[in-house]
Amino acid sequence: MEWDWTFAAEITPVLLEGLKLTLLITLLSAIVAAVLGLVFAVARRAQSPWVARPVTFLVEFIRGTPLLVQLYFIFYVLPGAGILLPPLVAGVIGMGLHYATYTAEVYRAGIENVARGQWEAARATNLTTRQTWAHVILPQAVPPMIPALANYLIALFKETPLLSAITVLEMMNQAKLVANSSYRYIEPMTLVGVFFLAMSLVSVVLLRWLEHRFGRLAK
Amino acid sequence: MKTTFLTLALMAAPAAVMADKLDDLKAQGFARIAIANEPPFTAVAADGSVSGAAPDVAREVFKRLGVPEVVASISEYGAMIPGLQARRHDAITAGLFMKPERCAAVAYSEPVLCDAEAFLLPKGNPKGFTSFADIAADPTATIGAPGGGTEEKLALEAGVPRERVIVVPDGQSGLKMLQDGRLDVYSLPVLSISDLLAKANDPNLEMLAPVVGAPVYCDGAAFRKEDAALRDAFDVELAKMKESGEFAAIVEPYGFSAAAAMSTSRAELCGE
Repeated sequence: MEWDWTFAAEITPVLLEGLKLTLLITLLSAIVAAVLGLVFAVARRAQSPWVARPVTFLVEFIRGTPLLVQLYFIFYVLPGAGILLPPLVAGVIGMGLHYATYTAEVYRAGIENVARGQWEAARATNLTTRQTWAHVILPQAVPPMIPALANYLIALFKETPLLSAITVLEMMNQAKLVANSSYRYIEPMTLVGVFFLAMSLVSVVLLRWLEHRFGRLAK
Repeated sequence: MKTTFLTLALMAAPAAVMADKLDDLKAQGFARIAIANEPPFTAVAADGSVSGAAPDVAREVFKRLGVPEVVASISEYGAMIPGLQARRHDAITAGLFMKPERCAAVAYSEPVLCDAEAFLLPKGNPKGFTSFADIAADPTATIGAPGGGTEEKLALEAGVPRERVIVVPDGQSGLKMLQDGRLDVYSLPVLSISDLLAKANDPNLEMLAPVVGAPVYCDGAAFRKEDAALRDAFDVELAKMKESGEFAAIVEPYGFSAAAAMSTSRAELCGE
């Protein structure tokens, strides 16, 4: 078991190719998770039980089943119903939807944390529901959520290797392909670990900045 | 030069050290083998029992060597050789065809299972593929193959770019992806495709065999280079079984030709 620098240098471009895809998937899934999560959180609080109940059920259902099972379902089962998604799209939908159910809970915590008086004040000043959400509740609810949301962003990033199960050529899959023909795991797997760590550290710094910049609005 | 030294070193090593591996296996009562799940080469039934031509031959040979049982673990083709080197398996018996680069990494036994390559295609072969080169020539064609399998390597060698060689985890997924139109071709050995086609019972699919320009390959049981003595002992028993016809009695019901395995040799297939 010896580290071979020449081999490591040789496979780096291939792995970086995979890293690009990993980052793209993370970015797209994070957007889906952030937006859809908010939709879930707001819909669960809807007055009408016809909206709140099914959404609650859907969220609990997705949150309670493994992501890998969902990915297999989206990729291999849905085509039977005529829905044929390319691997990347299937992956983004799978991960985005799954993480949306987690972020929905974060949003819920943030929203419920806004003092009751704020809702009453909004009603007293005759704001519409839309105005109440957009100008009173969310601006106060979102900043404290940033650390928790950031946590899920990093978790999501690190779960992208699951997509190798549905033939997405992200970084982990690229590393496996390299190992398949070289019979060496030490360099590809170490490099994948290093790249993930580097990206996570960079995103931590970015998210700290974000927290610092926008977190203050809550005060 | 390096290989000469290695051979010398192996020959010079005391016989006691060599015998150790087999003694260890006898003492523990089983050998750990790596398999895929690709009938008829290797098959795992719903109850977990392992069959298929490669494990059946290995089980019999190990029995004759005094190792009563084999314990199989399912692995991706590409992970088998690293797993062997990491001492997770004692042998690979999975239809891992001999190719010179694999022969350089492991110690193969004499040939066991031989088969040509085949394509699983939509009915009527709409794009007219007959070889791996045809797939390389069509810029939109995608081919499915097992990760680290012979077909993946053949496709890449024929010049199909990496992004059009889709790594398929198992036969069932490959079949499904072809039916869904995610793949234009799914490639495996002839007997594996026949098996898959028979199980799928789908009139919209057909098999093309053999693939033009892809020779007949043979697998062997693969051992660690250090366990060459175990490999040699395996070869002795395998040769006896080939002689007596017991070998044919195991592999022929699965559709493999015993004569094909007996008409070639490791030296020839490994290009030694």
